[in-house]
Amino acid sequence: MIKRFSIVALLLLTFGATHAQDFPYGKHNPSDFLSNKAKVDSTADAEVIREFGTGQIQKDDQTGRLYIDYHYHVKIKIINAEGFKSGDIEIPLRIYNNAADEMYDFKATSYYHDNGSIQQNDVDPKRVFTENKNRYLKLVKFTMPNLKPGSVIEYSYRLKRQSIFNFTSWEFQGDIPKQHSEFIALIPANYNFNVSLRGSRGLTSQNGVVQRECLRIGANGMDCSKMTYIMKDVAAFKEEAYMTTASNFKSVINFELSDVHHADGGRSNITRSWKDVDYELTSDRSFGGQMKQKDLFAAKMPEILKDATDSLSKAKAVFAYIKDRIKWNNYLGKYSEKDVKKALEARSGNIGDINLALISALNAAGFNPDAVILSTRQNGVVGDLYPVITEFDYVIAKLNIGGTDYLLDASEPLLPFGLLPMRCLNGKGRVVNFKKASYWFDIKASQKDAVKYNLVAKLDTDGKIKGTLYTFSSGYNAYHKRERIAEAGSIDAYVQQFDEQNPSFEITKHEVINVDSLDKILEERYEITIDQFEGTDYSKLFYNPNFLNRIASNPFKLNERSYPVDMGAATETRVSMILTLPEKFEFAEAPKDIAIGLSQNGGRYQTVTKLDDTMLSFSGLLQLNKPVYTPEEYLSLKEFYSKIIQQQKIDLILQKTK
Amino acid sequence: MRKVAALVMFFTIPAITTLGQIAYRAADIPPSLRFGASAVVREKETTLNMLSADNVVYTVREVVTVLNKGGDEHALLILPYNKNTVIKSAKGQILDAQGMSVSKFNLSNFNDQSAVSDFSLYEDDRLKYYNPTITSYPFTMVYEYELRLKQNLIIPDWYANPQPDLSVEKSVYTFNAAPQEKIRIKAYNYKGEAKESQVDKQKRLTWTVENLPAFKQEPYAPSPDDYRTYVKIAPEQFSYYRTKGKYSNWDELGKWIYTDLIKTRQNLSPAVVAEMKSLVQGVDSDKEKAKRIYEYMQRKTRYISVQIGIGGFQPMFSSDVDRLGYGDCKALVSYMQSLLAAVDIPSYYCVVYAGSRKQSMDPEFASMDQGNHVILALPLGNDTTWLECTNQNVPFGFLGDFTDDRLVLACTENGGKLLRTPVLSTQMNETHRKATLLVDKTGSITGTTNTTYKGAQYDTHEALIRKPLSEQTKILSNYYDVDNINFSQVSVTQEKTEKPVTTEKLNIRIGAYVPHSQQSAYLIPNAFNRHPVTKAVSNRKLPLHINRGYTDEDEISYQLPTGYSIEYQPKDFDLKTPFGHYVAKITKKGDELLYYRKFTLNDGTHPAKDYAAFAEFMNQVATADKAKVILKVN
Repeated sequence: MIKRFSIVALLLLTFGATHAQDFPYGKHNPSDFLSNKAKVDSTADAEVIREFGTGQIQKDDQTGRLYIDYHYHVKIKIINAEGFKSGDIEIPLRIYNNAADEMYDFKATSYYHDNGSIQQNDVDPKRVFTENKNRYLKLVKFTMPNLKPGSVIEYSYRLKRQSIFNFTSWEFQGDIPKQHSEFIALIPANYNFNVSLRGSRGLTSQNGVVQRECLRIGANGMDCSKMTYIMKDVAAFKEEAYMTTASNFKSVINFELSDVHHADGGRSNITRSWKDVDYELTSDRSFGGQMKQKDLFAAKMPEILKDATDSLSKAKAVFAYIKDRIKWNNYLGKYSEKDVKKALEARSGNIGDINLALISALNAAGFNPDAVILSTRQNGVVGDLYPVITEFDYVIAKLNIGGTDYLLDASEPLLPFGLLPMRCLNGKGRVVNFKKASYWFDIKASQKDAVKYNLVAKLDTDGKIKGTLYTFSSGYNAYHKRERIAEAGSIDAYVQQFDEQNPSFEITKHEVINVDSLDKILEERYEITIDQFEGTDYSKLFYNPNFLNRIASNPFKLNERSYPVDMGAATETRVSMILTLPEKFEFAEAPKDIAIGLSQNGGRYQTVTKLDDTMLSFSGLLQLNKPVYTPEEYLSLKEFYSKIIQQQKIDLILQKTK
Repeated sequence: MRKVAALVMFFTIPAITTLGQIAYRAADIPPSLRFGASAVVREKETTLNMLSADNVVYTVREVVTVLNKGGDEHALLILPYNKNTVIKSAKGQILDAQGMSVSKFNLSNFNDQSAVSDFSLYEDDRLKYYNPTITSYPFTMVYEYELRLKQNLIIPDWYANPQPDLSVEKSVYTFNAAPQEKIRIKAYNYKGEAKESQVDKQKRLTWTVENLPAFKQEPYAPSPDDYRTYVKIAPEQFSYYRTKGKYSNWDELGKWIYTDLIKTRQNLSPAVVAEMKSLVQGVDSDKEKAKRIYEYMQRKTRYISVQIGIGGFQPMFSSDVDRLGYGDCKALVSYMQSLLAAVDIPSYYCVVYAGSRKQSMDPEFASMDQGNHVILALPLGNDTTWLECTNQNVPFGFLGDFTDDRLVLACTENGGKLLRTPVLSTQMNETHRKATLLVDKTGSITGTTNTTYKGAQYDTHEALIRKPLSEQTKILSNYYDVDNINFSQVSVTQEKTEKPVTTEKLNIRIGAYVPHSQQSAYLIPNAFNRHPVTKAVSNRKLPLHINRGYTDEDEISYQLPTGYSIEYQPKDFDLKTPFGHYVAKITKKGDELLYYRKFTLNDGTHPAKDYAAFAEFMNQVATADKAKVILKVN
């Protein structure tokens, strides 16, 4: 489970003058080479022997700006050739509007033991490459020379990080195990940081002392808190299927600047309380400023609303208008990147541009919408200990009409009014508006991912089943189908693809309804022929009624689970079939109707089969009611699927009525 | 000197012509070009002016209408650049369905990013891209750009219709060069001849295509280059990163690669030469010597790709590989070649187009851009041994399906020559599985499987080797995607010969594999090897091409609880077609149920009309593979 707790309060500061405890570069313990087994996890291909980092606020004497002096040093044991990939290193440097992180004091060495002596190979600086990845990111890349099973590699560098808002975060857990991971934060006494630890593991030790005059600003020397965090014997982080982003579960410590005491006795809060954040957001030109652009839309409103009769249809008209006017440029963001006016002109914008435009337009239509900031699934879960504003990477609109809350995101043209993209479904969001204090709000899918299949058909004496298959899709299921139809270019092309992928049946006629009416159920209607039997002149017929969506593979394959199973939204599949037989049949073996479920209404699977002379009917229901299942529920979820697979293997055995 | 003026004239976009008719209206696209198309190239002019060997001006002016969301990729404009390719200009505009201008863009609206391949640590290639953000279809993009190439070793190929689902109203390719320049040209799948003319004392060649309907991406299709129209150009005198040279055939190109790019890089220290000599001391055969050196090289090196400037074609120094213990394919092959040379074993540095799809160098047209990988050939008497040098685990003399059965360019001191790599045949690519399983009354199964993998299938389970059981279990539960399967013991061994074999032995348990109703039990005897459904394709256009054949044989013995009898069993199969052969048989002897399956897929090419029969055969296999036996439980 996701654990996040404050650890700053646990620190008792003592006075001391200890220096950062980096381990010496290039000095080895004999044990580094004697054994060639990883210590934390004996099956590991490489393991961190020791890892040390510091982060310290410093002042640039030339520019007077504060920066973070970050130092990193690591020593890794390479166990075998599979572990060589730990010798390929990539260090990200961020690029800001007017500055970029700088790297210096770089050293990198590989060592191996050869007949009693240690051979050392330094990385040639000419073989260290800087890749200007894009406008936000540079990557320093290099690889370790002369790696052999049993090698030890070591590297260290310093970074001048230009943003002090995100002090830095430290990953105790990585993709290889770590014997010892240590981070020291040196923070001037007039800066307060909110510190939080993620992941399931606790710290092995932590300690805080006061360091005198660590930073000099003008004539004043400032004391610092020097905080040391150590985690030992940390297993590698292993990803599992159906999990949200790894950063929710890795053992990581985060620091976020909360407030600053100035030398003159004043104090500026950075992220002290939600009240401050509310003020900051609503007064920010790129946020609150863009929620108030209703003048941009006022003149167009009569045209936009000309067919709208009630509040809901008005809101839908505004929503459709924004979807049509601004296309998403695939950048996230809670702030407007350009501003609403420019986004409208360019007909393109980031999430902030689009949904703040939506809020402005809804305002112009006479509504009173709120903004909701949230963190996407990819970005991780937000904590509720402190308002950590950088954790939010998205904004949507919230609208109350007649007592019903609608969550709106106009970035996906094919999603209906009120259904958010899956990426937004990540716990809770914070509702922000101009009048009231902000508050948390649960963000859930407004509709299930649901599909219903109805087959009404006749079995002919030639063994073919002919009839009509209806499917009714809603929620994400309909969304995905509409996407496929759009990708295919036409309904005909979409049906052709569907037909080609199902060689067991042939579609002779088709009709797809409500492709563009996003608020309605997407209906597909197919006249189909299935080659089921080679004639029906058998004394017995073996028929499997799970004609569509049979579950042949269990999505849950392992016997252990560490992290929650996150499916995003609840799902529901219903199947019903009425098959007219060419003559009177009866069951040779009475089928057993099945009803199984997961605890706490977590899911349900049930079937009902009936045979009435020439009329065979079957219905099935599969529901998974929770978007997230805990690791404790994993085995029962696996078993649930297994039962369904077993059940769906069982045929109906029919014999002609004597 | 440069004809920039002409380009400016190209770019006066007639939103409305003098006749008052709107140009580039989406509605004007003829139905034949809309059919199966998600986008239509209305007009495209590609012009290549080879002003000199190190100054080639490449301009494109294109009008493309995107009909629906599926065509978005055709509106994405990507301009690659590096030290040898400069983007001089790019601009354009977007028109709505009526052809009215909606917005304009220029180079400052492009995003810039590195273009390092995912297999590389670093490359100096970059790209700028522009992705129009348009909310309604159809829309039209009108754009032009100009690149300056500071080399002419690699002239970009011109494709009349580069991608599937794209139709072309008109596309023209013009190549201009000084009349005295010797140029080799090959047009593929182009009807007619290039038009030759003399313009401004330049020799001009023009290729034109009109009204090309969209083609569809189809399963089991030949290489797109077998049916697309394209033109390759290779000037005889070339310049590349200040290196100059001349070639007009594979012989000369191979010689240049060897002499100018490789030979000077093979500088081993006397110590290493001596080490190699002592390594093979007492070994008689050259092949055995080569094997020792190969294994030494495998232990010493690993694959790291860095491509900068001419380094994209030129290997690192052998002494650097020796010192650093890594290199890319060129570096490792060149290093291996120099190690062999130290003990007087000759070998060929061979450029190949690697990939699971077999692609050969064109014997009729030599050019520098036909390979993407390098391997080493050892001409040992009558028998050539082939070495893949970028993999620490591959057996000596085995290439696998990455580079098998294709023409490669061997670069030698005496010139280049095309050689064919060994074939991995349908019979050689074999999986053979034998399983003995015990079914209990609850329907659970326990037992052992013993599977051998050969030929192209040899490395199917490479990922399992050297992994702990927990990781092996993860990989195997995905590979054997059977509900409830558990692996209590996993053993994978490899016979690393030139015809290598992987043997996988498993102890398994599958809970509730055979579900029971009151009177019956349901067993799918083919537990492990079910072929998926093959897409039926209506109106198949392209020939049916099976790139690589294989043979799978499965024998499973199920020991049933006493007294179970067969209520229903699927019929036995012995289906022989030109595409392959499928045998499936179920026999019951006492309480033992025996399942036998043999599936052979033949490689080969068949006319498009045969696809339906092929799909039918494959789907008969897919259906039979999941057929159930219904057992009567007493």
